[in-house]
Amino acid sequence: MDLLKHIKNNRAKQKQKKPIKRDVFNQISSIVRQYGLKENFLDIFDTVENHFTVKRLGVFRIRVKKPGITSIFSLVEKEEYDLTRSIIHKADNPYLVFAHSPEEILWCKSLYRLNPALSAEKLRRYHFETLFLHECAKRNRMKTNPSNAET
Amino acid sequence: MKQLFDSGLELAVESDFIYFPLLFDPDIEKEIQAVFHSGENIGQFNEPESKTVIKIEDNYFVKGFRLDALVKNFEAIDPHSYQTMKNECFRRYQLMREVDGMILDGNLRTILFQVMPHFIKKNKGLNRKKLSDEEMLDLIGQKINIPDSYYQEAKTFTDIEPLKEILKNIGNQPPCPELPGNGLTSGRNLQDWFRNAVHTKVLADEVDRITTSLQVRQQFSRIKPERIATLLYIADSGALELDGFGFIRKNAGRKEYHVYKHSGDYVLKDYYGRNYLFPDCRVAVSTYMPSKPFVMEKYKHPFLLEYKSGQEICLKHFNPPDELTAQRIIDALEEGLTALRYGYDHRRRNGYHSLDKLWVHIPTIDFDDYRI
Repeated sequence: MDLLKHIKNNRAKQKQKKPIKRDVFNQISSIVRQYGLKENFLDIFDTVENHFTVKRLGVFRIRVKKPGITSIFSLVEKEEYDLTRSIIHKADNPYLVFAHSPEEILWCKSLYRLNPALSAEKLRRYHFETLFLHECAKRNRMKTNPSNAET
Repeated sequence: MKQLFDSGLELAVESDFIYFPLLFDPDIEKEIQAVFHSGENIGQFNEPESKTVIKIEDNYFVKGFRLDALVKNFEAIDPHSYQTMKNECFRRYQLMREVDGMILDGNLRTILFQVMPHFIKKNKGLNRKKLSDEEMLDLIGQKINIPDSYYQEAKTFTDIEPLKEILKNIGNQPPCPELPGNGLTSGRNLQDWFRNAVHTKVLADEVDRITTSLQVRQQFSRIKPERIATLLYIADSGALELDGFGFIRKNAGRKEYHVYKHSGDYVLKDYYGRNYLFPDCRVAVSTYMPSKPFVMEKYKHPFLLEYKSGQEICLKHFNPPDELTAQRIIDALEEGLTALRYGYDHRRRNGYHSLDKLWVHIPTIDFDDYRI
């Protein structure tokens, strides 16, 4: 490719419309505002992780993921900003950007620990609790019968 | 503004400017950190005139607008809220109704005291003198049922002490309440200050009106309350009809009127001597443009082009007046009435239409239904 074509291609690429990428701050701050989360949410965040076990949850259930209403450019008050930063810092995983509710924020760390390779499509479509239970079930099946394990 | 004051937000005031809590995102935080922690940029924030962001008790506030500018321009920013606050202020000082302005309405006074006496005569027979202003008001008072509230209002109207008191208070008041001091403040405090500031401005703007009101009321203080009640009623309603003569206000803001006189029923003859009974209509003249007399109702006549309302009467030698005076209103009305009643010549068939059918293929108005 000659230089002229290269420059033209580059310019054409630059002119193309690019979709706005999901930003974890916008996502979490929107949830904080929408649900009116306060500082005590961080305490729940610390304690709740140990309770997320299949035994405790009992029967397998499919949760419907709520449609997320996210601001494209979120601006929040100081307290909300500090809380958002703390949540992002505590959760610290790439699944957080797909959370649509406070519950999913709580679930995302456990889910990421269980399977860090879930596709964005799955994370976007299914509730984190459902995904967590699904991953647990998969893991149990692998333990009991490794040859029939799903990929 | 109401939403802002009612929001419960903690606001800050600094150098007469209102500061709002700064909203954050990661970029804003970085900028703020950079500005407040590097020595280079602090300078611009320390200068009193250019403090864009200030920090009070670990909270950041961003510059909004000047409080006195808000008061000064509030009428343009939010006309509806300004009007509400203005009315609230008028109620507080009993200046709610603009009766003084109505009474000062020159057109109304001309119609009432100069035109009306020409058409309404009290005494019948040979002794027919024109009614004076007071006699005219008495006559109207006798013939029209004026609500009691106007008599009460007339008493208040002649009492000039409250107005004197208001003027005295305005003179003593500062031009604008003292601005809130620097520091944190609640929306509620700012709202109270803002309301007082707007009320002060409204009263200051209305000083001329209150002074004029006082002068008018001093003039009227010697007139009987019954006559003032009549005048207040007419000024308020903007319409009156008495013995076939009347007027109606068409534009309250500009104080313009249609002055009219009923034609009464009348008979015209056609070419063959057959009689046509024409129904009553109102012939009117408007005070806001020098126009020919016109009929107010849907009406047909040889001197009217169509069969509809608001048509000018065809007058051959009529020049619309450039300046409106009582005599010109009287002349125009009489010209219009005379034209309708006596202007049609059955031999010449003058006007736009003929009373009898001419059997030509020209669309015309049919008067057969008026034939007697």
